[in-house]
Amino acid sequence: MQAELTIDHLTFSYGDREVIRDLSLTLPAGTFSLLIGPTGCGKSTLLKIMAGLYPKYGGQLTSGQIDLGGRSQAMMFQEGGEQFTMATPREEIIFAMENLGKDKEEFAHQLQKASEFAEINSLLDQKIVTMSGGEKQRVALAVLVAMDVDLFLLDEPFASVDPAARRFLISRLAKLKEQGKTIIITDHLFDDYQGKVDGVYRFKGEQVDLLTKDEQALLLDTEPIDLHFPLPENEPAAFVMKNFAIKQGRPLIEQKELSIPKGKVTLITGPNGSGKSSLFKAMTKLLDYQGSLTWESKEVAKLKERAYFQHVAQIFQNASDQFMAITVKEELALSKKHASPYFTPEVLDQALADLDLADHMDQVVYSLSGGQKKKLQILLMLLSGQEVLLIDEPLSGLDQKSIEQVVSLLKKCQEKSGQTILLISHQFYGINTWCDYHLRLAGRELAFVQD
Amino acid sequence: MTKSKMNPSLKFLLTLLISLELSFKVSLVSNIIVIVLALGYLLYRRIKPKALGGMLLATGLAAITVFSSGYIFSDHRDLWYALDISSRVFVYTFTTACLTISTTAEEMARSLEQNLHLPSKFAYGTLAALNIIPRMQAAVKQIRVAGMMRGVYLSFWSPVLYFKAILVALNSADNLAQGMESHGYKEGAPRSVIVEVPLTNKDWLLFIFAILLLNLGAFLLP
Repeated sequence: MQAELTIDHLTFSYGDREVIRDLSLTLPAGTFSLLIGPTGCGKSTLLKIMAGLYPKYGGQLTSGQIDLGGRSQAMMFQEGGEQFTMATPREEIIFAMENLGKDKEEFAHQLQKASEFAEINSLLDQKIVTMSGGEKQRVALAVLVAMDVDLFLLDEPFASVDPAARRFLISRLAKLKEQGKTIIITDHLFDDYQGKVDGVYRFKGEQVDLLTKDEQALLLDTEPIDLHFPLPENEPAAFVMKNFAIKQGRPLIEQKELSIPKGKVTLITGPNGSGKSSLFKAMTKLLDYQGSLTWESKEVAKLKERAYFQHVAQIFQNASDQFMAITVKEELALSKKHASPYFTPEVLDQALADLDLADHMDQVVYSLSGGQKKKLQILLMLLSGQEVLLIDEPLSGLDQKSIEQVVSLLKKCQEKSGQTILLISHQFYGINTWCDYHLRLAGRELAFVQD
Repeated sequence: MTKSKMNPSLKFLLTLLISLELSFKVSLVSNIIVIVLALGYLLYRRIKPKALGGMLLATGLAAITVFSSGYIFSDHRDLWYALDISSRVFVYTFTTACLTISTTAEEMARSLEQNLHLPSKFAYGTLAALNIIPRMQAAVKQIRVAGMMRGVYLSFWSPVLYFKAILVALNSADNLAQGMESHGYKEGAPRSVIVEVPLTNKDWLLFIFAILLLNLGAFLLP
């Protein structure tokens, strides 16, 4: 029997802000634990302290300690691409094995075991930068398996992973538990965990509680969300494609003909790496395309950037990219210059209150938590008031309450100002009833579907 | 410079020595011989025409500048000397190109660590930094577009653009450092060797032979 994993009177802070206060917790060995809580609550912080990364890379440990019971550990991060030093999975595994002082034979054995386990045999010599989110996380898991650590720490690893890849990874983690490993994962979605995790721990007010078995069963009993959409008929078009094609290394989309309705909300889904984000890149002139793509009957490739982006905007996955000023107040002032008429001062104040941002007006935007950044970014882009909004995974990394806040704001604003919205999302909670149409990308082709 | 794969560290030293020696010694003929050999090697390695063209153009411009300052605008006009110093520019770029065309960044990092016994943090830190470059290019493009979408035009000399680009770089660097550490890397800790970079007698012979030829050329040829 392995020793337990104990957290003893731990207090941790960033500057004046305490995120964990006097936390004591015991995790049994060989279990699969899910750590939940609102964005910015300190889940990642706790994992990074366990991984030995904090306080080295940030924050201050004011008191207490964590005893991993002599376990070796490794961590898998949210940002898929930035956890690798080398260019290919094989190189990365070599790097990790050399760090651990393993010899060639052990390496060969572990490489085979890990690549079979995470099913990355065909990816071993592919450049990691060319991989989809799901593939990157499979590689990340393989590295940890090859390292043969005892404790797997995963920090929201599924933020840009599609449902199929997510199910695969969770079942693999359950398999690791059967082999005697200890797994701690943080997540905002609770699908696919039923029957696989042993305990659910909830972060609440700088503390962590273990849910009772009943609470846990209720929480994890997620119904698959049913999707029902009509097909568009005789709608005026915002975008029209004719013999449109894009590629990035390999061909991604080859579309004979398609018209995307104007003034409606269209959900775009498709497996990881199928080309959804690349489609947005083509629409925002960040990627060249072949054939024709028109917006309001004008060829996108020929439109001048500055003029075009006054009408068509994107809410990027990385919120920080969209900030241009320093504090929340300054950001709002900048966007108010050409604000959409929908946002009267009263509506804006209400929106800030609804998003729990009203108390952060003087805060530096880069010091907001991940969820707060996302909420502010969406508000700023709605303020800008373009007729077309392309939104790439707006809900990843947001907790349930934040999702509800964000979707309700998007919905109200879209209804009042009649924007055309294209929305890429892997998760349907909250948006299944909002979207008008559903466009699915499969086999390099986009098609409107009813489910 | 030979056709076979020479040890990356020795290749690096050789490139350095050729450039260094020809910087001190005036020998136009040696310069030309090195340039021709290097060009031959690049062609043998099937350098992309576009890459070669770009290199010739950039180096050519630099060489013309050097030539004009050494000859046209000089008080003591010496054509031979001016040609020598301007051809050096080609020596530097072509020999460096020979090094980079035949060595991947991973091979170089491993060789520096194993053969020259450089600290591993230097070798892998550089490697990680190289991996950030394409991400930075994409980030700068995206920041400009994101700005335009908020009615802010960021020109290429805008301080905001650089402030944001630096933020992205710092963030990536931090993530990479944590990623390295999570994959077992510890600064200064001993590491095993799984992929060996051989340093053979043949490598040394080639190296010494090349240095001998270089010295013969540099001191005997005009």
